[in-house]
Amino acid sequence: MHNLWLIAKHEYRGTVFKRAFILITLAIPLGMAAVIALAIFVGTSGENNLPVGYVDKADILNVTWQPPSPMPTGIEIRAFPDEEVALAALEGKEIQAFFVLPSDYPSTLQTDLYYLEEPPSNDVWRDFDNFVRANLVATYPDEIRNRLLEGPNITVHDIVSKREFSESSIINVILPFVATFFFFIATMSASGYMLRVVADEKESRTMEIMITSVTPGQLIGGKTAGLLAAALTQLAIYIIAAIVGLIVAAPHVEELQQVTVPWAYLGVMALFFFPAYGLIAAVMVAIGAAVTKVQEGQQVAGILNLFFMAPLFLLTVIFENPAAPVVVFFTLFPTTSFMTISLRWGLGTVPLWQIGVSWILLVATTVFLVWAAARIFRAGMLRYGQPLNLKLVLSLLKGRRWR
Amino acid sequence: MHTIEVSHVAKRFGETQAVVDVSFDVERGEIFGLLGPNGAGKTTTIRLMLDIFRPDAGTVSIFGGQLDLAKKRRIGYMPEDRGLYKDLKLEPTLIYLATLKGLDEKTARSRLGEWLERFDLAEHRQKKVQELSSGMQQKAQIITTLLHDPDLIVADEPFSALDPVNTRLVKQILEEQRQAGKSILMSTHQMYQVEALCDRIVLIDEGRVVLYGAVDEIKRSFAGNAVVIEGQGDFTHIPGVLETRKHNDTYHLALQVGTDPQAVFRTLAARENVKIERFELAEPSLDDIFVNMVQNGAAKLEARHA
Repeated sequence: MHNLWLIAKHEYRGTVFKRAFILITLAIPLGMAAVIALAIFVGTSGENNLPVGYVDKADILNVTWQPPSPMPTGIEIRAFPDEEVALAALEGKEIQAFFVLPSDYPSTLQTDLYYLEEPPSNDVWRDFDNFVRANLVATYPDEIRNRLLEGPNITVHDIVSKREFSESSIINVILPFVATFFFFIATMSASGYMLRVVADEKESRTMEIMITSVTPGQLIGGKTAGLLAAALTQLAIYIIAAIVGLIVAAPHVEELQQVTVPWAYLGVMALFFFPAYGLIAAVMVAIGAAVTKVQEGQQVAGILNLFFMAPLFLLTVIFENPAAPVVVFFTLFPTTSFMTISLRWGLGTVPLWQIGVSWILLVATTVFLVWAAARIFRAGMLRYGQPLNLKLVLSLLKGRRWR
Repeated sequence: MHTIEVSHVAKRFGETQAVVDVSFDVERGEIFGLLGPNGAGKTTTIRLMLDIFRPDAGTVSIFGGQLDLAKKRRIGYMPEDRGLYKDLKLEPTLIYLATLKGLDEKTARSRLGEWLERFDLAEHRQKKVQELSSGMQQKAQIITTLLHDPDLIVADEPFSALDPVNTRLVKQILEEQRQAGKSILMSTHQMYQVEALCDRIVLIDEGRVVLYGAVDEIKRSFAGNAVVIEGQGDFTHIPGVLETRKHNDTYHLALQVGTDPQAVFRTLAARENVKIERFELAEPSLDDIFVNMVQNGAAKLEARHA
């Protein structure tokens, strides 16, 4: 047990203090923050704050009443008696654009927009829409008017999972997708390190020293635990970055105030994360022991990673029909279940039977692969310059003497 | 109780029979040479001893029983191919490997300081292993083998890549370890080192033991299989002579097993332009014995010892 701890500590330190690990761990949250900041900067720097005008030939915008929620842009909406005056104001740079509501507007709902070079932003469009809408319902009693202005807000209650989905909490639908991405990065990078350390120890012949000091179980167990700890460290940094980001951004972004901690999702992911990590780690141990050079291992792993990344290629199908047979297959298939369930979570309910069967299949596959990886590792660890061929691997798995 | 008892071990890898039948034992306080040509099965035998491989047949006993984790900690193993993490710094690497052998970090650090000083590596302790020369890496590997003060040292080619000064240092250290009662199993192709250091040897060829015993006894038993000649003329291409080496004005002839030195003398005497000033039977070097045994194969040896 002491040796397992020593190996785990060594691998953990050797991984988290590596430049590549620090870069990938910090680059993702920093990169995302930079992209968001850039988007905000681009969005605000070119903002046109000139008033927007309108000519109301339909004679419906005669109420000065404003909608209850503040307009996002805060841009003044100015009335003009006719197009000529409005056009002069536009050419005089007094306004950025003006809308014309023709006399048949109530029946056609068609509006004309005039601008010089750049059309007004989406926010200006939304402000004007709100303004028109508020005028159209201005004659109704307050209660009805406010309700009409709020519009529909449908909440779907899932009686199986007890979860709720509503337009106002769209962020809670998006979160699992973001979390999937981070889970995936952490798992794959940890398994990549596992491949590297095993293949590197074999290539540098350190394996021979190690195996005469500790048991193979301690060696692999220690590495797995150390790299799992590194993966969890990476995840913790992502989570802390996300929490800090939410705290900072929530006062400015209304949607973020709706964020609730998705405990059920986190519970299911925790349930799947450990066996999924074990499965990937076992595959990487087997590859690392079977190849003769780190580079060869990375090539093989690159191909096998497709088995884990396959759900990404099905994103459209998962979005359109989360219950499609191919999606259910990916939900149950051990290498894709973790990611598929995570992606499906944001879109609705994953039936309990699928979660249960999927977990059992994943755990069973992981147990088998850990067993197989141990055999391949023991047979391949000292075969310097001689990769294990498929025939030998199969004979090892059939129970022939392995060392 | 022997430190190592290897009894009739055999090991096959697929179609290759790496070890056919090897037996020997190693005593406490001796340096034991495990010798053999390339591909003879030496490294496989070492790996069988250290439970890296399991034998198909035969038994291995270390410190009086099967190898377990506690016994592994009493062994210092230096593989032929140096095995240190290339991209890690020297000091933490050696401390890590020592702690896996049961040493606490403080003791490991303290002992390491002494060893680094002795091997003149102290100023390189913060360098990455890959930045060290091959000789330095070899010395670092020797430190790894000795740092936890093992009772059994298994060293595969310990003098590889060492200059004469460091070779002498390592020999001195091995002598000290023997004096301290440690058992040392050494595998090397440098026969003069074996001759200088080893108490007993086992010679393996094609997976079988072809020679086993005390170095002095073996050399005595092979006396007559070498002759020393002084004179002028051509002393090569003599039937029954494996090799002719000239050292200063002396010719050293290694004879095949069964070759009569008198027949060699007659052959030379019959040659024209050959003048013999001295012809005497010599005690062969281990090198001669090695070459003789390997070139003649096991069958003749068995006949000789029958």
